[in-house]
Amino acid sequence: MEVEIDEEEIKSAGGESLTDGRRGLRIHGWEIETSKRSILTSPELQLWEEKLETTHFPEMIFGNSSLILKHLASGTMIHFNAFDALIGWKQEALPPVEVPAAAKWKSRSQPFQQVILDYDYTFTTPYCGSERVDRNSEKVGGDISDGSPSLCWEDCEEKIDMVSLASKEPILFYDEVVLYEDELGDNGESLLTAKVRVMPSGWFVLFRFWLRVDGVLMRLRDTRLHCVFGEDSFPVILRENCWREGTFSGLAAKGYPVDVALYKDPSIISMRLPIIKHKTQKLKLSTNL
Amino acid sequence: MSDLDKQIEQLKRCEPLKESEVKALCLKAIEILVEESNVQRVDAPVTICGDIHGQFYDMKELFKVGGDCPKTNYLFLGDFVDRGFYSVETFLLLLALKVRYPDRITLIRGNHESRQITQVYGFYDECLRKYGSVNVWRYCTDIFDYLSLSALIENKIFGVHGGLSPSITTLDQIRTIDRKQEVPHDGAMCDLLWSDPEDAVDGWGMSPRGAGYLFGGSVVTSFNHTNNIDYICRAHQLVMEGYKWMFNHQIVTVWSAPNYCYRCGNVAAILELDENLNKEFRVFQAAPQDARGTPAKKPAPDYFL
Repeated sequence: MEVEIDEEEIKSAGGESLTDGRRGLRIHGWEIETSKRSILTSPELQLWEEKLETTHFPEMIFGNSSLILKHLASGTMIHFNAFDALIGWKQEALPPVEVPAAAKWKSRSQPFQQVILDYDYTFTTPYCGSERVDRNSEKVGGDISDGSPSLCWEDCEEKIDMVSLASKEPILFYDEVVLYEDELGDNGESLLTAKVRVMPSGWFVLFRFWLRVDGVLMRLRDTRLHCVFGEDSFPVILRENCWREGTFSGLAAKGYPVDVALYKDPSIISMRLPIIKHKTQKLKLSTNL
Repeated sequence: MSDLDKQIEQLKRCEPLKESEVKALCLKAIEILVEESNVQRVDAPVTICGDIHGQFYDMKELFKVGGDCPKTNYLFLGDFVDRGFYSVETFLLLLALKVRYPDRITLIRGNHESRQITQVYGFYDECLRKYGSVNVWRYCTDIFDYLSLSALIENKIFGVHGGLSPSITTLDQIRTIDRKQEVPHDGAMCDLLWSDPEDAVDGWGMSPRGAGYLFGGSVVTSFNHTNNIDYICRAHQLVMEGYKWMFNHQIVTVWSAPNYCYRCGNVAAILELDENLNKEFRVFQAAPQDARGTPAKKPAPDYFL
């Protein structure tokens, strides 16, 4: 998912593309960058096994890929990465979803001794991004020391202005980063992605966890972040979480078709899935004592 | 040059055959495949290949590295179709080679060689798009039912797509399966095409999905001992380095789709065995972009909401 970036358009909007093969741009005091790398190698994966204390991982982990949005003046950094998402998966630890064939398997004679693995193989995560204040821009990834300001999301009444986002402003930068993906042993799809687009007026991110267990359920956890470029020393960022979940039997009951092939693209069918959680929050700066 | 040789040349250029040609090719293939055993005997030297998944241009890289058929004797462990852009051309080329050189290429069935799976993961849609009807998909999926379930190289190396089954102790038990059917949802035939080795269990394990077996080291040891084989060679799971040994070299996974789904960045491998069964893994990369015929698509910016 790459597009030719029109350098003239970026310049006239007051921005500049990142150089040295980096993907992204600087604009209105923001540096927005995507990294798209290969899936983790076996040695890297082993390291993750130790750090996360699990041997179960999505089949494809783009562990070195990320989307980072950084407000240079305030050091506010929002980033999306697979490692933090998997921490969220481990903490949520949902019970496994049985596939349709499971019912039949239960009646099958089982081996004498058998271990039943019970981790959440769908890798469902509540993760909706990581944020921190990074005063020292040279030291990305450094720990936050005591006393430094920290960030938190506060519930708010404002809403993301979807009308203005629907306007066809020029897109100065666009990218899509896959963080992890699993085919559920050909029983569906689990996919964690971040999409970003940067316009002259601001940036917009759609961070999405999408799960389809064929014949059983679909789960869509969308996080949308919108920032309108401004002169404030601390940026105004709204974040909207919308979680949807529906079963194939629930869809059938409402008269929708349940042919799995129709449920490949969550953007097309999301409205059919009932909303189970929805909130909008605003990013705040709080100083720790 | 015979029609078949012309068709092979055409397929090597990634040009699909006409529907009537596919039909004729499939009829010939059935005659050959129906004679094969569920545990098809394969002589060494042979080169073993894992999943291809419709990545036609990457399969051409495979043949560059491994040599052309029939000069090189090949065993493909299934999953020819789905996910990649060229399942039709990939499978038809392999099938045409099978018909032309039946003793120099062995194709066994993967879990994607199924009517149900191909309707979800791409092959069905591709046939419909390229031919305007699902006839070619029907001919091909009918062929899938005839593909053998496993291979035995010089009585010493067992080749299968997925893995072992708790219903199977001996190779003779595999030989008695009536394979000419859609891949069932359970039972021995299903397990051979679907199961995975798993470090976290020693004996048998059940997937958290509630269907699908996992097998540990002791299961492999006992299977190899009972059937007097050196090791099992299987495919089915993506491995970043192209191949992966498990359980003290008793089973190896071979994966032959580099840069899987055109985005994983993994390398692929094939396993070359010489006449004395000496092993050499040949690791290869995805085809360079300029060898792919069509340039990489650069879609317009997406006004996603």
